Amino acid sequence: MKKTINHFTLSFAKINNTHLQVALMLLTLVMLVLGAGAPEDVGTIGR
Amino acid sequence: MWLVTLGFLPQLIAFYLPYTRRLLSDELASLSLVCSQLMLLIFTFANLRLPGMPILLLGLVCNLGVILANGGFMPLTVDAAARLVDQTALNNLAVGERVSNASKDILLPETGILLPWLADRFVSPPFLSYRFAFSLGDVLVAAGTFWLLLIGQLRTIQSTESGDT
Repeated sequence: MKKTINHFTLSFAKINNTHLQVALMLLTLVMLVLGAGAPEDVGTIGR
Repeated sequence: MWLVTLGFLPQLIAFYLPYTRRLLSDELASLSLVCSQLMLLIFTFANLRLPGMPILLLGLVCNLGVILANGGFMPLTVDAAARLVDQTALNNLAVGERVSNASKDILLPETGILLPWLADRFVSPPFLSYRFAFSLGDVLVAAGTFWLLLIGQLRTIQSTESGDT
């Protein structure tokens, strides 16, 4: 368990500004595409 | 980032979150869609210098144009709906009404649509397991996004290589 926690701590320590910027950029792009596009999913028809 | 979040929020509430979308009337959902797309239009315009953004802007204008021309929802042609769902499901849909409360689309016959070439009239090929109807605007939005990511990736590779030498 302690090893797993250490592993996670190490993984999070590796996250730097660039990673955060890329993640935010992708999130922005996903919101933009979902908002700008209007494709109709078959699952929503008649639901 | 904040403008996109602010712009997407009305759509998140009106179409994506099951609890909130049930509470909104069609008029409010339509208003949310138009306001949301207007804010995203401002964002896209403000970032026009980025690669792919002009194409994305064109797609957004196409979608917003046809939505505004047809009462605040994206028109879905009866023909496209018939290619997506079986006859029983189609019979349960009313022409001139929203396809569902999770949808941005309103079912309309081809002749009743203003700017019909910009409506959700194209359907994904039958061999794809994920079936959907899409518009010319959606194609442009996808193309702009692809271009943005591709050029962004190429620029990253170029800067890495020039940094190495």
